[in-house]
Amino acid sequence: MRTALVGLLAAVAVAGLAGVQLLVGSTLDAGTALAALAGRADALTTAIVLDLRAPRVLIGLAAGACLGVAGAVLQGVLRNPMAAPEVTGVGSGAMLGSVVATVVGGDVASPAGTAAVALAGGTLGGAALWALAARSGGDPMRLVVLGVLVSAVLGGTTLVLLTARPQLTGSMTRWLVGSLNGRGWEHWAALWPALAVSLVAGLLLAGVLGLLSVDDDHARALGLAVSRWRSVVLLVAVVATAASVAAAGLLAFVGLLAPHAARAVAGSDHRVLLPLAALTGAGTVAAADVAAQLLTAAVPGDAGRIGVPAGAVTAVFGAAVLIGIVRRRSRATVEGTG
Amino acid sequence: MTTGSPGTSRTRPPVVLLTGVLAVATLVVAALSLGTPLVAPQRLPAVLVAGDGLDHVVVTQLRAPRLVLGVLAGAALGVAGLLLSESLRNPLAVPELLGVSSGAAAAVTITVVFGLAVPYAPLLPALAGAALGAVLTVVAVRGALGPSAVLLVGAGVGAALQAVLLAAAALSESTDQGVLVRYLLGSLTGTTWTTVATVLPGLVVGGTAAVLALPALAVLRLGTEAASVLGVPAARARVAVLAVACVLTAAVVGVCGPVAWVGFLAPQLAARLAPGAGLPGRALRTAGLGALVVVAADLAARTVLYPVELPVGGLTAVVAVGLGAVLLGRRGTA
Repeated sequence: MRTALVGLLAAVAVAGLAGVQLLVGSTLDAGTALAALAGRADALTTAIVLDLRAPRVLIGLAAGACLGVAGAVLQGVLRNPMAAPEVTGVGSGAMLGSVVATVVGGDVASPAGTAAVALAGGTLGGAALWALAARSGGDPMRLVVLGVLVSAVLGGTTLVLLTARPQLTGSMTRWLVGSLNGRGWEHWAALWPALAVSLVAGLLLAGVLGLLSVDDDHARALGLAVSRWRSVVLLVAVVATAASVAAAGLLAFVGLLAPHAARAVAGSDHRVLLPLAALTGAGTVAAADVAAQLLTAAVPGDAGRIGVPAGAVTAVFGAAVLIGIVRRRSRATVEGTG
Repeated sequence: MTTGSPGTSRTRPPVVLLTGVLAVATLVVAALSLGTPLVAPQRLPAVLVAGDGLDHVVVTQLRAPRLVLGVLAGAALGVAGLLLSESLRNPLAVPELLGVSSGAAAAVTITVVFGLAVPYAPLLPALAGAALGAVLTVVAVRGALGPSAVLLVGAGVGAALQAVLLAAAALSESTDQGVLVRYLLGSLTGTTWTTVATVLPGLVVGGTAAVLALPALAVLRLGTEAASVLGVPAARARVAVLAVACVLTAAVVGVCGPVAWVGFLAPQLAARLAPGAGLPGRALRTAGLGALVVVAADLAARTVLYPVELPVGGLTAVVAVGLGAVLLGRRGTA
């Protein structure tokens, strides 16, 4: 009951934020935007609202939702509250993949092609961490530290690629922290199917995920082929991350923030947790984009500048959340063992 | 390099030493002669003493200062990494994972992209940023226990500060993406003797302080309890060592960006090459190896894809993290 209420409130909040994004902006006032939505405005105004703002809003929501699902899956299956796309090599691998696709150009650089290469990159990044972590034992903190190192290598490679192609350096900000600038309907077309697939697959696998998130031995005792199912479930997280990164860059720490907020309400039932994490992720990105645009408007400057990327806002808040979790977790560990 | 340090001849066979000296000489000659225009090694002496000519200008005004800055930056970052990792007794405690580098980089980026006139720029803003990053990490770490927790908190602070850097660049009207590359990763592009002169004061101060801090560091690496038994207040000594590392990092980052992860690789390499060396020997080797890594990486950065220059920090990030992690793994399992 309480969960349903919170879910409803979250949905209303997300819808409200999306409405603000759609109606308020530097070029049009809310009334004109509303008229454009109702089809009672001139062609230019309609184009601004329907072809510039609407896809931006939808992509932000879907990218955030994807990251929420990915984070919730990763945290469950790795049994690690600090797991998130950006600290497991999955996010930075997908980022490298996206940039590789852009460098290759042609059909590969189409939104769907970028997402496919990002998927390959995310899989490789995650596999790299998995290979490293297998030798280091099961300490969750150590896994995340290794993940930070893997991300540093992949991020460095990404930056080298971006500078090797000077014409790409303009999009540097998007890839590095995630931004919704310059996204259109073609990106949306490549993003929503991935969100639908990963959300549905996540819900279908919720039972398996629940078993895996407790303990391998119990899962095995119940007849689950643990390592095979773990790979399948991890793939869901990689698909969701890759689609999100290919569309909007790596919106930093949304995949950490959103599942935590959702878990605080929904507990660990993944059938409730996954949709709620998707909703929180969408809301986080929408709120961050509104905040980023307000921040940009507050600092005087030329209209042609890039403006604060939404990912910078999520990075600062997400980092604070990460620090909070680490502190709590480290004390719990030491008290538990000592 | 390591030629003059005591203990070398005892611990390493002369062949290895000779190889090292040869490698350094080759690298110096390569750094001066490779590129466009190519100056053949046998012509270097003549070109160096010639009063004019394109080759002379390129070698003495572009390549030589770049080589010197690479040496200084690598040495300083290596020593900063050694100070941090030894005083916190954690091989991963490096400027990149404690918010120090990204704090300095964010502060300098803000002054550069908004064209703010700050006295003693870029050293002063870099120092302020490095100190801010370190203080944020220290404050945020309070209550967290264990080495991994400290690094994750530092990584979080670093990520947030890097986001501030990117946001500031995106907010300004600056279209110079070179600034972004430099302060995100580190780059030696466009170095002149003026650049070297800018970095020197901070390095002289930081270097001297590092030498003075070595005795305190020697006690700190024994652990807090041993330090207090020996009459050294561990907390105060650690803050002092941390401050010296901040000065060294800030001096480099302010001019050429973080030159990522050199402070991780150099101390690991030094530990690997001379496991039994004392702290002064270790510091000397770390400085030398840091310089070697940066000069070699920069040589690759400016020649591999000529005329496109890659950021040296991108190469060091990839090589240093990869190699450093392997060395660390070896040492851990050995």
